[in-house]
Amino acid sequence: MKSIPEMPQLHEPWYKYGVAFLCFEILIAVSVCAYSLFMTFHGLGGFPGKH
Amino acid sequence: MKTQKVEQLIIATVGFFWCFLMWFSTAAFSPSIAAHYHLSIKALGLLASSAIWMAPIGRIVAGWASDRFGAPRTFAAVLAVCGLVSVASAYTTDYTLLFAERIIVAVAGVSFVVGIQHVAQWFEDHEIGTAEGLYAGTGNVGAGAGALVLPRIFGTDYHAAFLWLGAIAVLLAAWYLVRGRAAKTAARREVARCRSNVRGTVFVWSRYIAIALMLAYAMSFGLEIAMNAWLPGYFSRGFHAAILALGFTSVAGLQIAAGTFAAVQSFTASLLRPFAGFMSDLFQRRGWTPLPFIAKSLPYAPRLHWLGIALILITLGTAGLAAAGLSGSLHLSVAVLVALGVFISFGTGGTFALVPLLFPDRPGTAAGFIGGVSTAAGIIYPLFFAGGPNIHTGYFTVAVYMFLPFVLFYFWAARHERHPEEHGLLPISLAAENA
Repeated sequence: MKSIPEMPQLHEPWYKYGVAFLCFEILIAVSVCAYSLFMTFHGLGGFPGKH
Repeated sequence: MKTQKVEQLIIATVGFFWCFLMWFSTAAFSPSIAAHYHLSIKALGLLASSAIWMAPIGRIVAGWASDRFGAPRTFAAVLAVCGLVSVASAYTTDYTLLFAERIIVAVAGVSFVVGIQHVAQWFEDHEIGTAEGLYAGTGNVGAGAGALVLPRIFGTDYHAAFLWLGAIAVLLAAWYLVRGRAAKTAARREVARCRSNVRGTVFVWSRYIAIALMLAYAMSFGLEIAMNAWLPGYFSRGFHAAILALGFTSVAGLQIAAGTFAAVQSFTASLLRPFAGFMSDLFQRRGWTPLPFIAKSLPYAPRLHWLGIALILITLGTAGLAAAGLSGSLHLSVAVLVALGVFISFGTGGTFALVPLLFPDRPGTAAGFIGGVSTAAGIIYPLFFAGGPNIHTGYFTVAVYMFLPFVLFYFWAARHERHPEEHGLLPISLAAENA
């Protein structure tokens, strides 16, 4: 992999909050996937698929 | 009025989220609508595909309109019209009229390119990947939220859902109109407005790199929206016995189970899209250019390489979904779908981290072409999915006969080391005359 020297970019303050929100969204995605996979095994028998 | 770019990003993102929620709310209630009106399988397929009919032409027009009239006016008009028709559809009892009204509500899907143009007019080159990713990714969640949340809140009462979705859309239209500002500077706004003409449109449409990005977006976002409409039906039919065995025996239960499994694709594709934009920014900062053939010295070459990697992964993931389905394992299919959703997010985030950089003077027109024409793929893929010898093999057909040629074309179009936008079906003089 070619790697040219990193060019430092000064980010404005919003950027770190943007990245934090991005991580929060990844967490939601992982949770939804885990829940869906859990449901493929347990269906109605497991929380919170029970209704 | 004082404003700043983060407020504009929030307005665009909330408006887009709601538009996507409205766009795919019909699909979320398709089992209920089918049961209420006794629809056949073909009629159900028609209802699912109708959500995308307006997107290709509508997005092209919306992209041009956002350059011409500014994103706030264009977005507010989309929200208001779709919201009012959604309210009307809540009181409709005739299926033909409901079908027509839901096609008009599906115009909400054109809002994507308006917001892309809006964000591009406010953010700088080095942060555009993350900014567009946050906008598009968070907004796209509306589709997954529709499949996952709406049936749980409203049960089978789609009339109430359509009423609430429409009423809130009208309120959001007013907010967008009052607080939205078209561009960071008057000069930037003026450049976009002046170049929104037929010559500029023909110039963008005829560039090989624009066509390659359009196909890349057809592979990623086109596949995402096709899956949004297709997957609930795929799971309820392709894994009917497995879902029954899990205890979901009623129409409402089947709808919840199929919608939950389908939602993994939409949620991962949407929520990881900002991460894909961030990765595009990271490739750019580190100067990573690992792929052969693709240009290595362009100012944005690392972003081209990141998108190339995403397209290869999408092709492999789509073929993998066919293999998982043929194995008969619901667990494996959902797991592969998670991976495919992640790869799709890489493609969508990677594409729109590039578009504003390649066509900085025509962001709306470029977004309209790339984000608009590509959605036609969302109509075509389900035809292949449903047309195979069984319900699982269509994914493999799409991967081999459509995605593979698209990837090869992308590599070919992205090979130029200088100004790839100068190469196209028509001469570069189009741009000069238009400047």
